[in-house]
Amino acid sequence: MKNFEDIKAQWENQGDIKPPVNGIETIINKTNALKNGQRITNSVLSVTAGLLIIFFFYVKAYLEVKATIALSLMILVIFIRIALEIISLNTLKHINFAEDNQRFKNRLLRYYKKRLRTHYIFTPIILLFYIVGFVMLMPYFKMSLSKGFYTYIQISGCVIISVGLFLLFKVIKKELLSIKQLMN
Amino acid sequence: MISVEFEKIYDDNYPKVMRLCMGYCNGNEPQAKDLAQDVFVKVWDNLKTFRKDSSISTWIYRITVNTCLVHIREAKKLKFSKKLPIDLESKFEIVKENQENRFQQLYKCINKLTADNKAIILLELEGLQQKEIAEVMGLKHEAVRVRIHRIKKELTKCVKQ
Repeated sequence: MKNFEDIKAQWENQGDIKPPVNGIETIINKTNALKNGQRITNSVLSVTAGLLIIFFFYVKAYLEVKATIALSLMILVIFIRIALEIISLNTLKHINFAEDNQRFKNRLLRYYKKRLRTHYIFTPIILLFYIVGFVMLMPYFKMSLSKGFYTYIQISGCVIISVGLFLLFKVIKKELLSIKQLMN
Repeated sequence: MISVEFEKIYDDNYPKVMRLCMGYCNGNEPQAKDLAQDVFVKVWDNLKTFRKDSSISTWIYRITVNTCLVHIREAKKLKFSKKLPIDLESKFEIVKENQENRFQQLYKCINKLTADNKAIILLELEGLQQKEIAEVMGLKHEAVRVRIHRIKKELTKCVKQ
């Protein structure tokens, strides 16, 4: 290829590109699946909320002030984290893909910067409160559970917190890269 | 019920969208097909909001460029496709190997460009008017004109290597 016109001629010579058979049906099914997915997520969250509240009353956590505070703290921070995620996903869903590229890029950039603020500020606070709640519950676990199960809770708690920290680090790294790419 | 309008839009614009997606996906056809599908999911979902203040193809190009931008952000390193785009393989058997190398080189060079420049040159290759490219990109006509001149030189130099 000697010049740009040759490149263009080659590009135009790509042959017939035909839409796939059942392409439209696949698109409509995918759109419906995405909407159903949102409905399923909402249902799962509602059921989780219900189960946690039932559990709260079932174990009579309200009889012990410290246990009530600990369990409430853990439940509350989980819900705050879920709410933040839902708000964030909705923001992304409502970014208009039909806008011109510069406006779209700026919106996307604002979205990632906001997410980064969430990861840097809110998530560590949430994680800290979750750990505080968990530690506050430990004496109750020790009192009411067998030694083996208590050890299991201790180990699994540490594992969950470590995995949480690792995932947080990974997400921050990924989204920092996104911002860098968008600013390029 | 599938609207006749969407069916027409899909048939008329699929090849353009697909070529653009191929450019973004290093010529990887399965990935480009998935990406084109995502574009039309957004078109289907937003068709009611199309205000007709630009042509439908400009509107679709905007969605395509923006969807591809999100895709390159999410995608890991893309592998080059060893296959020729679409039907080229069967149509040009004799020059197959030569063509394959040329397309691989072209995709490789396109993917060396920045996200903005990549979009601009792919739209230029598609034969869009500079004014229309400026509309898709949200840039001034003059800025697009200067950029196209620069990218053409850069791309030609890279492809020649």
